[in-house]
Amino acid sequence: MMPWHPTPALLALFTLLASSALFAGQPPQRLKEIPERPQAPDFSLRDMDGVEHRLSAYRGKVVILNFWATWCPPCREEMPSMQRAWQQLKDEDIVMLAVNVGEDEDRIFEFTASYPVDFPLLLDLDSAVIGNWPVRGLPTTFVIDPQGRIAYRAIGGRDWSAAGLLRKIRALR
Amino acid sequence: MKPSAIRFSGQLLPAVLLLAGAAVMADPPVHRGVVAETGLRYWEWDGEGVLFRLTQRLPDQTRAYFMARGFAPDQADRIARRCVFQSMFKNTAVAGAPSVTIDLADWRVRHAGRESRLLTREQWRQNFPGSALPKAAAIALEWSLLPTQQEYAPGDYNWGMSSYGLAPGTVFDLAFSWIREGRRLQGRLNGVECAADIHPEPQP
Repeated sequence: MMPWHPTPALLALFTLLASSALFAGQPPQRLKEIPERPQAPDFSLRDMDGVEHRLSAYRGKVVILNFWATWCPPCREEMPSMQRAWQQLKDEDIVMLAVNVGEDEDRIFEFTASYPVDFPLLLDLDSAVIGNWPVRGLPTTFVIDPQGRIAYRAIGGRDWSAAGLLRKIRALR
Repeated sequence: MKPSAIRFSGQLLPAVLLLAGAAVMADPPVHRGVVAETGLRYWEWDGEGVLFRLTQRLPDQTRAYFMARGFAPDQADRIARRCVFQSMFKNTAVAGAPSVTIDLADWRVRHAGRESRLLTREQWRQNFPGSALPKAAAIALEWSLLPTQQEYAPGDYNWGMSSYGLAPGTVFDLAFSWIREGRRLQGRLNGVECAADIHPEPQP
């Protein structure tokens, strides 16, 4: 048998393969699938226009529920991608709700001058709602299936307009 | 399949992959530098499937941030003088890899021969008990700090402030850890420097 000696180029290729397999530098957009899909805690909050939104009223639809604040850099970063996703999903029985934690309308209104969105921004002024959800840092986003169960979670910002994410969301319908 | 190919895949390929992995692991995971836009310094660990970065915050930045959210000047100053960094922790492993968990209570700050802990959300809650803060200010403090305990699936990350309880300008070492599949892994950032309490003025 001929002995096999890896060339430096081949070793470099293996190094690249191994490193990309183990620790991807710029990973694709991912959602964590929540095992056994627990029931989403219900809430009722009003939006910037004073309209009341009860989560359970959206039963039968997929809901993307985002917890955020204006001071949170990744929240700001992902907001335009949420708007792009919303443009694609809003006619497909999919709901997007962004719950602001602890800030008043003036501050959010100012924020929307730079980050215009047309999905509902809900006000959790006293943080009572976020306290009932398994959230420890902002942003955290949940995707809720039509049965009102938590199907996916994302901690930190995402590009919500990425095709892979939209595919997963649409597949829940 | 030829016998030589069997031998290659069965014996040599794992060795080559091990070498490749070792080459990856041999890359120094610690990076440090200066943020070009601000001149503030950062320290970063990027290895073993996690990315952890500390970026200096000037005490004045922290004072301004909290005063804008309802803190009285002396209250904002109490936080600003306790060595606050902007911090980011991320699970950089590929999809399908295990989650990692952190608990800031396990992390240790080493300075001048002494060891101490971070000031977490829970400590700050005790520092500003009950009605010491307006509700909006208390909410801002709670959510602005890096979560004390968190589980990060691949791709998950948090940004948040972290406070090391030291005076402005102090240099310290940070021993931090995370748990993956029940195994505690450790990293270290040496020579981390709390931002000095300077008051830069706009240039004419």
